[in-house]
Amino acid sequence: MPALIEVKNLSKYFKVPAGMLHAVDNVSFTIEKGETLGIVGESGCGKSTLGRTMIRLQEATDGHIFLDGEDITHVSGNKLKEVRKKVQIVFQDPYSSLNPRLRIDDTISEPLRNSGLYARSELKERTSTLMDLVGIDVRLRQSYPHELDGGRRQRVGIARALAVNPEFIVCDEPVSSLDVSIQAQVLNLLMDLQDQMGVTYMFVTHDLSVVRHISNHICVMYLGEVVEMSPSKELFSSTLHPYTKALLSAIPSIDIDQHMQPIPLRGELSSPINPKPGCRFFPRCPYAKGGCIENPQVLEEVTTQHFVACHRVHEING
Amino acid sequence: MLNDKDAFLLVSDLTVIYTSRKKVVRAVNGVSFEMKKGETLGLVGETGAGKTTIAKSILRVLPDPPAKVLGGKIMLEGKDLMKVPEKEMLKIRGEKIAMIFQDPMTALNPLMTIGDQIIEGLKLHNNCSEAEAAQKAKELLEMVGIHAERFNEYPFEFSGGMKQRVVIAMALACEPDLLLADEPTTALDVTIQAQILDLINKLKVKYGISMILITHNLGVVAQTCDHVAVIYAGKIIEYGSKRDIFVNCAHPYTRGLFASLPSFSKDASRLKPIAGSMPDPTNLPLGCAFNPRCLSGIEDCNDSETPLIEISQGHFVRCCSVQQRDKFYASADRSQKSE
Repeated sequence: MPALIEVKNLSKYFKVPAGMLHAVDNVSFTIEKGETLGIVGESGCGKSTLGRTMIRLQEATDGHIFLDGEDITHVSGNKLKEVRKKVQIVFQDPYSSLNPRLRIDDTISEPLRNSGLYARSELKERTSTLMDLVGIDVRLRQSYPHELDGGRRQRVGIARALAVNPEFIVCDEPVSSLDVSIQAQVLNLLMDLQDQMGVTYMFVTHDLSVVRHISNHICVMYLGEVVEMSPSKELFSSTLHPYTKALLSAIPSIDIDQHMQPIPLRGELSSPINPKPGCRFFPRCPYAKGGCIENPQVLEEVTTQHFVACHRVHEING
Repeated sequence: MLNDKDAFLLVSDLTVIYTSRKKVVRAVNGVSFEMKKGETLGLVGETGAGKTTIAKSILRVLPDPPAKVLGGKIMLEGKDLMKVPEKEMLKIRGEKIAMIFQDPMTALNPLMTIGDQIIEGLKLHNNCSEAEAAQKAKELLEMVGIHAERFNEYPFEFSGGMKQRVVIAMALACEPDLLLADEPTTALDVTIQAQILDLINKLKVKYGISMILITHNLGVVAQTCDHVAVIYAGKIIEYGSKRDIFVNCAHPYTRGLFASLPSFSKDASRLKPIAGSMPDPTNLPLGCAFNPRCLSGIEDCNDSETPLIEISQGHFVRCCSVQQRDKFYASADRSQKSE
């Protein structure tokens, strides 16, 4: 059986005055049905662009996206409408992703009306079911987004994504604008929905503790490229790529007796515009050597299912 | 909690409201705390708990209207900041107290070079010439890790982390005694956050600055603060040393906060969130504001104002059930001894 989602050599470039901005560069992976893939990386690493390109909100520059074995990279018209019923997205900011002039039930039922999956007479009932499912009080159906707090708004966004019974949902930082106590409510909701309905998620975030909690596999991105990919526990127990190591070491621990010793990274992300061949992490890497700039980094399966793109991975971890 | 007359900063019974035509938002409801020189106090709480309002009242930069300080005292080295005339306050802002604002993208003037923005404060407070101020500003930039050549660049030419460094350089320009850092790293990535926290910690030691760090990131608090005040609906509900809060926290809300964090070490499949959300500050419940979400509520919670009680040396909690439990243990102790 093919994986639900397969991405092959996907690239997305943007033309900017200074040249070509490589937002996503040659990314490949698969997601099995009912699983969650976490995508982590700093702002500007291309993780949101990857999600948006995969569900066809943007056109891919190169590469292929397969949904259930079918190539959806360039489908259009009615075919694309069919795809839209299977893939949905929950946006990052619950404040700007809801139309302020639509009542909650109109927001949730819009995809229902557009998809034609439900008759007009069924809309109200289906909307109530969805609101129940995500835990919004049905009495709020006539409210406007400004009357709800962030957690409830994000639940509306989730209900809207679930409306057409999709198989695959891209969650683009769905909890990063929420407080921890509310964040936990939303994460639990997403996991419960997966258990009940078998939805597949791609969870885009910069919060590593969240991603470890929710994902089966994790993919670490740096400047548009995948630098490390592995089952989620393994990524934390045996971290191999120097960037992932630095990222993990920089998380402030809540254990007051454990002093943070972040691996210092020089400077900040370099520019994704017209990147040079060779390792993109090179300018900041503590292990950088001459060889790293010459050859492009290739994702190599170091141990089973654990992929790393680093020339010196064996030397560093040996 | 308030006993030391020689405290560096003493805030007592601070009450702030925001008024609109119809509603009154009770943002800060009788907050009291004190700080010693060189100490770092963390103010922790959810969005809308009143953290930023507390900081802005200390600096007296709340917009009035809609904000109104109803009462309270703010003493900085024995001087009541509420009574200081505005002209003197101008001297205090920047020179004695400085603030790092939350969002580096909006805290800088997009039409001024970053050099000019740093110089502005220096010239105002230090009475020095343009050239001297420029020299000092360049030193400050180097200190926060920005090359002095970038002195004449505009904010849009910098990344988020760099802008935050510029804001820090501005705040430190006149070597303030008290630094109010309002979510200084929330908008930044973890690797940059680590660099900024490291920088703030080093500068704190170098200049002996006292700091109030406002954040909702408990990890950041654990790595930088000496004392922690947990704020809920405009009140301090728990206060103590870092160890009191992170190891022996007692208030159900604080415990709930820790329980709802996804953990790196434990493999719990479900998180334990705090049910519900913060009460509407225009319509706070009677008694304990956390009661509607609390699992250990008892009858007393609804009744009246819950006092802040010291449950161990320097560790204060505002919770009826904790206090009742402690009373129970105390009386049990006594009866054991008498037997």
